[in-house]
Order: sequence, then structure tokens, then C-alpha cells
Amino acid sequence: MSTLLEFKDVNFFYQTKDAEIHALKDLNFTVDKESFASIVGPSGCGKTTILSLIAGLLKKSSGQILLNGKEIDENDSRIGYMFQRDHLFEWRNIWQNVTLGIELTKPKDADKKKEFAKSLLKKYDLYDFISSKPRALSGGMRQRVALIRTLVMEPTLLLLDEPFSALDFQTRLRVCDDVYEIIKSEKKTAVLVTHDISEAISMSNKVIVLSSRPATVKHVQMLNLNGETPLSRREDPTFGSLFDLIWKKLTNEKQTTEN
Amino acid sequence: MKNKQLKTKPSSAAPYSKAHEKYLKRLRNDKIFVLSFQILILVLIIGLWELLAATNVIDPFFVSSPSRVFNMFISMVENGTIWRHIGITLLETLVGFAIATLGGTLIAILLWWNKRLRRILEPYIVVLNSLPKIALGPIIILWVGSGMSAIITMCVLICIVLTTISMLNAFNSCDADKIQLMKSMHANKFQIFWKLILPNATSEFISVLKINVGMSWVGTIMGEYLSSSAGLGYLIVYGSQIFNINLVMTSTVLLCILAALMYLAICLIEKWHSR
Ligand SMILES: Nc1ncnc2c1ncn2[C@@H]1O[C@H](COP(=O)(O)OP(=O)(O)OP(=O)(O)O)[C@@H](O)[C@H]1O
Ligand SMILES: [Mg+2]
Repeated sequence: MSTLLEFKDVNFFYQTKDAEIHALKDLNFTVDKESFASIVGPSGCGKTTILSLIAGLLKKSSGQILLNGKEIDENDSRIGYMFQRDHLFEWRNIWQNVTLGIELTKPKDADKKKEFAKSLLKKYDLYDFISSKPRALSGGMRQRVALIRTLVMEPTLLLLDEPFSALDFQTRLRVCDDVYEIIKSEKKTAVLVTHDISEAISMSNKVIVLSSRPATVKHVQMLNLNGETPLSRREDPTFGSLFDLIWKKLTNEKQTTEN
Repeated sequence: MKNKQLKTKPSSAAPYSKAHEKYLKRLRNDKIFVLSFQILILVLIIGLWELLAATNVIDPFFVSSPSRVFNMFISMVENGTIWRHIGITLLETLVGFAIATLGGTLIAILLWWNKRLRRILEPYIVVLNSLPKIALGPIIILWVGSGMSAIITMCVLICIVLTTISMLNAFNSCDADKIQLMKSMHANKFQIFWKLILPNATSEFISVLKINVGMSWVGTIMGEYLSSSAGLGYLIVYGSQIFNINLVMTSTVLLCILAALMYLAICLIEKWHSR
């Protein structure tokens, strides 16, 4: 499989009044096309920073971030970003929320994209709600709307920053499956940031374990579990040992930083 | 009640349970209770006022009485003078209210747009906000002349600073992640403002409207006390100077009614907005 996203010796510093914060240090990793990669790491290590760099919301201090072999730029419409909370606009109905991206960038194929939006809403049981306001929807439905809002712009790369963490456990498992299904059937590449190791294992082909700040890649775990859905993959016999392995890599790290 | 049938046989999809019906009834009874007490208080005040004045327990020369107020009002309606005074005060208030609300919001937009400008002007805004605007009265008259322009200026001055501060706060309180989301969808600054910051601030805008209703009446009446030849504020000052307490009371009551109506209009806007 070919590489879609590549980080080459990327460094990033936050500038604040008191100090210069070294957030990312010589970061190297790749993400293959149409694969699902997860990034796990201790809290505050720089995971969101990585996604913000990819999305062009921040500018790297040094190194290279390549998308399809080319340096990413600020206005790259090939990238879709999904945040921790759904951030639906309460004053817009579901349709207006979903088509926000079209409204903002006014692409030439707007009509085609709107049709696509309709088909996604239908496919994922939200079409009946297009004229409802977000407050009428459950947490899981809202998260699906947020995902569709991102997908409508037909990005090749999806960035997911703990998109499930605001949901309760059962909803989380279900939305996880939904989102995974959507991403797979739309043939997207995804980078998921999560605190939840089992979520990372069940969803991805690759788990990237980061050290605490400044983040470097500590470990890369390739995965190939049996099962069509994240939920069924949790049944895989190797799931437990993989969990232990990644957990050790993470906690090792925590102990050394505490000393 | 005439909708008794409706209660037992509701037309909506979900039939009401006994408990729900009871709850609705309690809610309605509660509302009726509160409303009847509100009316009772009003009737009591008016009745007591009339009674005490009629029996000369309180001197009607200093406190007037409801019937005198009413007669005053009728006579002013008959000779037509009242409309001019109401009209002028209402005009001043509405114009002041509109200028202050729109102007204050525009300034807030400007300050949101340009962070540096905001930081430069911050101390001046703080000082202007804490300054008692009535102190500027003589200066206003000197600069814009006496009469309506001075009154409107006073009204605007009283409302505009708080409008700016409140709206700027509302603009700045927008969730940073929502702004990031807009940016990740390649929104420019204008779009971020127009499609996120501004609609996000509507509820704050409505509460600013409510505050400004009260403040603009304060401003206008203060302005009319300062310099005027017509208007309800003028009537109050004039009435007190010629010891016509009936005129003072009538104008005051009219003011109460007008202010309440304007507030009600804002409430209707709010209701319509939140549908
Ligand atoms: N705007 C900023 N200015 C200064 N420092 C920042 C800024 N944003 C983040 N940081 C710092 O950079 C580090 C990495 O932040 P980041 O948000 O990428 O971490 P994270 O891994 O996403 O954390 P979490 O797991 O809590 O979401 C943190 O230590 C944080 O304090
Ligand atoms: Mg984060």
C-alpha cells in the first residue's frame, strides 16, 4: 500500500510569554492510504498538536509533513477534521450544519456535494431530522452528523480527535462501529487520536505510541485483527496481549517521566 | 373551563396520563394564582391611594389620586397635547435606543475584529463606563445644542458603552474549538464572524436589548430634565415647578406604561427567536 501521510523529523514549539514549549520532537511516522491509524500517548503530549499541524491550523517549526508526497498547505481541502465535541451550531438545523463546508468554500461541484450529503444522511438514518435543530438529537446522532459534515467535503484524510470521549460507554461502542463503517465504506484514510487503548486496537491497522512531551514516536504497532467491526475485533484472541503490550509501552513512559 | 373536553380527550398523539394531567393543572393553577395576586396588588395600591386621598388622610395636593390622574389624562387627550409629549419622548427614546444598540454592537464588532485596537482602547472604555454620564450634561448641551439632539445624545451615551462591553464579551466568549472548526473548513475571518461569532451571540444581544430598553428611558428622561420644551420628562419637571402634582403623576404613570410596552415588545422578539 502506498503512503498517504508522512511526518519527517517534525518539530513544533509553542511560544508563550513564560517559555517556549517543545511539543513535538523529531517526529517520524507514516500513514498508508485507506488505512486507519491511531495515535495514543499520555495526556498533554502533543496529540492534538499533530492533528492541528496536519489540518494547517498550526505551522510546523521544522521538518516536513507530506500528503501524497507533497508538502501540505493551509487551504488543503483534502483534509477533514473532527473534534472531540460535535460542535454543531445550535442555531442551524441539521441540513444547514451538514452543508456548512459547502457554504463556506462554495466549491464548483456544490450541487453534487449536496446530493452526496443527502445520500449520507439517508444512509445513516438522519434524513428525517434534516430540518430539526441539533438539540433534538442524541449524543450519538450528533456525532454522526458531525462526521457527515466532515465527509461532505470529500476529504481524503480524516482527522479524529477523541471524537467519542464525550459519549457514554455503550453509545461510544456503537458510534465507534458506525463511524468506522462510514469511514471504511467511503474509503477514507483516518488518523484517530484517543486515550482509550482498546478503542485504538479495535479500530486501527496501526497504533502509534507517543512519549510524553516533547512527543516522539515510542513505538509503532501494526495490527491485523480478525473481525469486520471494531466491536467484533474486541473478541480477537490476541486483543488482550496487544492491549498489555501497548499499555506497557505507555506506562513505562509514565514511570520514567515521574522519576 | 371551556377546554375541559380537550383535557380528557387530547388531540395530540400521546394521551396524557392522570399524573400529567394533574401536573398541567397544578401548573395552570399556579399561573392563575400568581397573576391574580399581581392584579390584586395593583388594585390595592390604586384603591388605597384613592381612598386615602379622598378621605384627606394624605394630601391630594402633594400625592394626587388615581381619579385626578385619570381626569388629567382625559383632559389632555381632549385638548390633544398629550400625544405630542408622548410622541416626542417615544421618538427620542427609540432613536436613542436604536443608535446605541446598533452603534455599540458595531463598535464591538470593530474591537473584536482588531484585537490591537481593543487593547489600545480598553482603559478608555473602562473609564467611560464608570463615568456618571449625567455629569456630561452641560458639555453635551454646549456641543450639540439643547433640545432633542442633546436628549438623544444623553440617551445614546448612557446605553452605548455597556452595549459595546456586553457584545464584545459575547463575541469573545465563543468556543475556541468552534473557531478552529471553521478554520479547518477554510472559513475566512468574515465568515467566522458572520456565521459563527454573530449568531452565537444572539441570546446575549437580546439581553442587551432588554437592558437598553430600561437604560434608554433613563437617558431620555434625564436628557429631558436637563433641557427640553416638550416630552413626558418635561411635563414632570414643569408640573413640579408649578405645583401641579396631577400632571407629574399622570406623566409618570404614562412613562411606566410605555416602558412596560417596550419591554414586552422585546420579550415577543425573544419568544419569536427561540420559537
Ligand atoms: N496554544 C498553546 N499555547 C501553549 N502551549 C500549548 C498550546 N496548546 C497546547 N500547548 C501545550 O502543548 C502540549 C501538547 O498539547 P496538545 O493539546 O497537543 O496535547 P494532547 O496530547 O492533545 O493532550 P490531551 O491528551 O490532553 O488532549 C501540552 O503540554 C500543552 O500544554
Ligand atoms: Mg488533545
